[in-house]
Amino acid sequence: MRTLDLDPGSPRRDFLKKLAAAATASMMMPAPRLMGGNVFDEKVVAPPARADACILLWMGGGMAAPETFDPKRYSPFEVGLPVAKMLSTFPAIPTAVDGVQICQGLEEIAKVMDRATLLRSAVQPDLGNILHSRHQFHWHTGYVPPQTVACPHIGAWMARMLGPRNPVMPAFINVGQRLEGVGESEELKAFTTAGFFGNEYGPMNLPDPAAAAQAVRPPEGMDAGRFVNRDRLFRKLVDQSPQRDYLSDYQQESMLRSFDNAHRLLSSPQRVAFDISLEPKDHADAYGEGHFGKGCLLARRLVENGARFVEVTTEYVPFLHWDTHADGHSTLERMHREIDRPIARLVRDLEERGLLDRTLVILASEFSRDALIEGVPGSKASDQTTHPTDVLKEPKHYGLHRHFTGGTNVLMFGGGLKKGFVYGATADERPLVAVKNPVSIRDLHATIFTAMGVSPKTVFNIEQRPFYATEDGKGQPVTDLFARS
Amino acid sequence: MSFGVPRWLFSRLIGFVGVLSLGAIPIASAAVDFDHEIVPLLRKNCAECHTGTKKKGGLSFNTRESLLKGGENGAVIKPGDSSGSLLLKVVLSSDPDEQMPPKGDRLSAAEVERLKLWIDEGAPWTTGFSFQAPAYEPPLHPRHPTLPPAVDGRTHPIDRLVDAEWAARGVKRPAPLEDGAFMRRVSLDLVGLLPAPPEWEQFLDDPNPGKRGAYIHQLLTNDIAYAEHWLSFWNDLLRNDYSGTGFIDGGRKQISSWLYQSLAENKPYDQFARELISPTSASEGFARGIQWRGAVSAGQTVPIQFAQSLGQTFLGINLKCASCHDSFIDRWTLNDAYGLAAIYSDKPLQLYRCDKATGREAKASWLFPELGQVDPDATPSDRLKRLADLMTQPENGRFSRTIVNRLWHRLMGRGIVHPVDAMQTAPWNADLLDFLAADFVDNGYDLKHTLELICTSATYQSRSEAVRPGQDDHGYSFAGPRAKRMTSEQFVDAVWQLTLTAPTSFDAPVVRGRTDPGLQSKGHWIWAVTNPAPAGQVITFQRELVLAAVPKLAGAAVTADNRYTLYVNHQKVKEGGNWETLDTVELENVLHAGTNIVTVTAANGGNEPNPAGLILELRWQDEQGRWKALGTDAEWRWVMGAANDQGEVAPASEWRAALEITDEPWKERISGEMKGAITRIIRRNMPMVRASLVNSDLLQRALGRPNREQIVSMRPNDLTTLEAMDLSNGSILASRLQQGAKNLSGRWKSTDALVGWLYPAALSRPPTSQELAAAREFAGPQPSETGIEDLLWSVCMLPEFQLIR
Repeated sequence: MRTLDLDPGSPRRDFLKKLAAAATASMMMPAPRLMGGNVFDEKVVAPPARADACILLWMGGGMAAPETFDPKRYSPFEVGLPVAKMLSTFPAIPTAVDGVQICQGLEEIAKVMDRATLLRSAVQPDLGNILHSRHQFHWHTGYVPPQTVACPHIGAWMARMLGPRNPVMPAFINVGQRLEGVGESEELKAFTTAGFFGNEYGPMNLPDPAAAAQAVRPPEGMDAGRFVNRDRLFRKLVDQSPQRDYLSDYQQESMLRSFDNAHRLLSSPQRVAFDISLEPKDHADAYGEGHFGKGCLLARRLVENGARFVEVTTEYVPFLHWDTHADGHSTLERMHREIDRPIARLVRDLEERGLLDRTLVILASEFSRDALIEGVPGSKASDQTTHPTDVLKEPKHYGLHRHFTGGTNVLMFGGGLKKGFVYGATADERPLVAVKNPVSIRDLHATIFTAMGVSPKTVFNIEQRPFYATEDGKGQPVTDLFARS
Repeated sequence: MSFGVPRWLFSRLIGFVGVLSLGAIPIASAAVDFDHEIVPLLRKNCAECHTGTKKKGGLSFNTRESLLKGGENGAVIKPGDSSGSLLLKVVLSSDPDEQMPPKGDRLSAAEVERLKLWIDEGAPWTTGFSFQAPAYEPPLHPRHPTLPPAVDGRTHPIDRLVDAEWAARGVKRPAPLEDGAFMRRVSLDLVGLLPAPPEWEQFLDDPNPGKRGAYIHQLLTNDIAYAEHWLSFWNDLLRNDYSGTGFIDGGRKQISSWLYQSLAENKPYDQFARELISPTSASEGFARGIQWRGAVSAGQTVPIQFAQSLGQTFLGINLKCASCHDSFIDRWTLNDAYGLAAIYSDKPLQLYRCDKATGREAKASWLFPELGQVDPDATPSDRLKRLADLMTQPENGRFSRTIVNRLWHRLMGRGIVHPVDAMQTAPWNADLLDFLAADFVDNGYDLKHTLELICTSATYQSRSEAVRPGQDDHGYSFAGPRAKRMTSEQFVDAVWQLTLTAPTSFDAPVVRGRTDPGLQSKGHWIWAVTNPAPAGQVITFQRELVLAAVPKLAGAAVTADNRYTLYVNHQKVKEGGNWETLDTVELENVLHAGTNIVTVTAANGGNEPNPAGLILELRWQDEQGRWKALGTDAEWRWVMGAANDQGEVAPASEWRAALEITDEPWKERISGEMKGAITRIIRRNMPMVRASLVNSDLLQRALGRPNREQIVSMRPNDLTTLEAMDLSNGSILASRLQQGAKNLSGRWKSTDALVGWLYPAALSRPPTSQELAAAREFAGPQPSETGIEDLLWSVCMLPEFQLIR
């Protein structure tokens, strides 16, 4: 066997001993450059942060506002009921805020509405056929697809601009959405990304909250002792590589630094945050057995341990969950159960831990829904409006089944927002469009960015063109939502 | 456990971003948009006399500074005070001696209003924007530079050019690369694979001074390995993929099969480009781009995508700015982008500026009229043909410079022009770029020739540069090749090579290897008496095949419009329901000596009479190793109805002769694929399946394989923390290593033997005695499976492994 004999006088160095204090930006590939000023040559000035962490509760598939947080005239199921009369299929219930009602089935959330800011007038443009994937892309990136550059998810913006709150914690964590083996997964991947910011700012994906601990554990079948030994061997071999002296410090060390960061999380006390089975049983039970409830519990643990931006989704799967194209009423009974207790518990938990004031919790969806019967033989989803049926015949017709962008709910808690506050309103008769204070995605994003201490005008130079945190740098925060500080 | 990264490092890193979020008050948004409102206004009304080198009255609008400085009559703008600004006064004036512009249309009331507002807002200006054309304009025509004299016997043209550059700059020549490192670098660069240890050993021991050139040549003549490595580069650059956004509803079309064969046969690049610009159905996916469902902005319609893709891929010109408005960073205008788009568009194309209709119609034209122009009145297909000719004519030096620069970047770690898609910027050595481009054209646009030229230079065969942080901040100076990080595909292939865990099937719809152009297919489309045939008609076809001996290898390619079931000797062997795909099936285990019976039940679909057909070709290898063929033709017989599970029809059936379909509607879609399918049957024992051929998975994506919705010409060179986590505990890599350890444990009984193989296999060098000792200390003299697994992991994580040095 050949061996390479090393000059015994060659000085060996310890792993990472001589770390250069360089940022990780690449030299080979021009990283998108943060511009100090915007196109107006104004200095981009970050607003004071009202919140340090953000939890986005994503109701993927189109949550019907009149069935959740914006109840309208209630019509019980009745054969022969004209569809034109059907606005809400759930009666309204009172909440902790006088005069503010939400839908039956959300009793626990009703009790914490005195901590909430409810935006009832979010609107989206019609992107043609009102497709889920395009609207989800728009909501998550602030840009209508397609774009000529890969757009970053809003979580990646937070990661890029604010970094991790705790250095070991990934700044952007995405909980509950499978990206493989589900319908439209390629479309989901298109916006579940850091885009031109690069992977460093991309999401840590945890599709199954119950299995999240795996992501920060040694690979399956490897115990902690072996994991540590393997790492020791690696470090030793790095130090002994005779190539070490030939390779540039910069390239090696940037690589080794990434390994070190990874191992810091894998060996940090914070890694227990990922393991929801460690939650005391009675407390875990309060979040319920649902996929979303577990996600909320995980999000709370992550934020407690220094996460910056966590998205938790009920999961978008075509024609499942909020994506009701038939049986809307009965499906929403289930969805109410799926979200009601977990969200209320999450808000209370954050409050009890003194975290709510500095954590912005946002519940949102790509669009709302309106009443319409689908399933007329021979009709396509895109032709849905041309095949209305006039009256209810069967329970499966009962519910809101048509995509609707004219008035959507966004429910927010904490993060320096007002408490027990309702902003905007929709019409009381069809079409249920926003009639007061409509808020676009651009301005909604500007509001979120501003609350988090990021200027909506923040601009990067990518391919020598400006790319803004909000479209054209023109997002205006809805300052009415902010509590006076 | 804890590791020794100093805390101060993290505080530095965090502090870096933290500064940005330190509190201050938000500022109100400016109401006027300089780029979209003021620039066009100034360009239209003032540019003729006051920009570039023109300075009428001493006044230049080139930059904000020059404008604020004013002219012979003093300041023209008082930021924040429009009423006190001379500029506003003169645009409003009707005095012929004073008014501006002096001739032609006056500013509209709306324009005056914008201008006034702009001045009142302080006359904000986009950082870096100038009306002055950039100082550097890349040359269009090719050029054959004179080569400097050779120094120290370094006669290779690249070395002569680089040596002169180094001499002029006083740069010290880097040391030559040792054999093993050279071998690893050039193999990864040209075919994306690690050299195998026996090959490595032989190479080290070879005293022949020409061995490096011979090895380069050997790599480049390996059509399969070459094609499957460069496939990733071209998939990125042509945004081709096997799955992804847009495929869901036919809004996007693959060019995989065309691309693979083009690479396997090393199609000259001018022809390659012509076939993409003026495409056939096999290559049209690039020009067609991605059609999104629903409404898209004017800057993302299919014709505009065509203009952008063409500009970026073939010319390194970014037309994304100019797709919306005249570019601020280079000379391309909205008209240029729309002109190119209009060549593709089969309908009149409305010109949109920043998503607003201008009411003008775009006129088909291309970017370099100096070389000739497209006739806007020609048919779309003639326009594309003309565009393809204009693009690929030898006088278009930008076409050849762009591609040789990309190849240089892949091999040397950094472009001669960098970034490679910013070809409007100056090269660090124009002679070198021009030489490579002219040489490429002189050699028939042969990509492999240029790769070979670069790899055979001493410049390429030198040690990589040790790069310090911030080194390029004040300009780049060439000091030798730079180490590159393995691409996702190179890393995954390398792991599969070491662990013997490559998958056996793949997703790319390609035939591996080069299809023999002389191959004749024997199968014809057949059906029963009438065609179009009744909807739902079911026919059973049959043919006997007499063989002298059991064939060594055999297989069939088959499809039917709309469905078929194939039986051989009363055994069902294949069925299919997608007439657009030719299925293949191996048959050596079901054929026997003597008479064999091949039976196919085929069924037509549809609701009314429509074309129906069956095509099948059977190939087998006789005892002498010769390949024989039997295809569907009029010799086949048929009966109405389906066969039973054993492929039998009622005994009393009356067989009739099949009808050969001459005017067959499947010609374009299917018949052309037959040769590929036959190649799939004939060519067994293919080399390892490559990562480039399979769909992206979590690991590949984590390591930087892009979503190919946008064109990608440079992959990220840094390993991120999330990637390092995936490598540390991700299940895909872990399971490969685990399987690999199982595969290797039978082979290598001692740690010494294992490490003695692993280091050459992974790093193309022997282990040092210290490394060997460390491995022994870790795994003991006889490694367990977990010991092997952990050794494999540790070696694969070494920067030395992950970098192509």
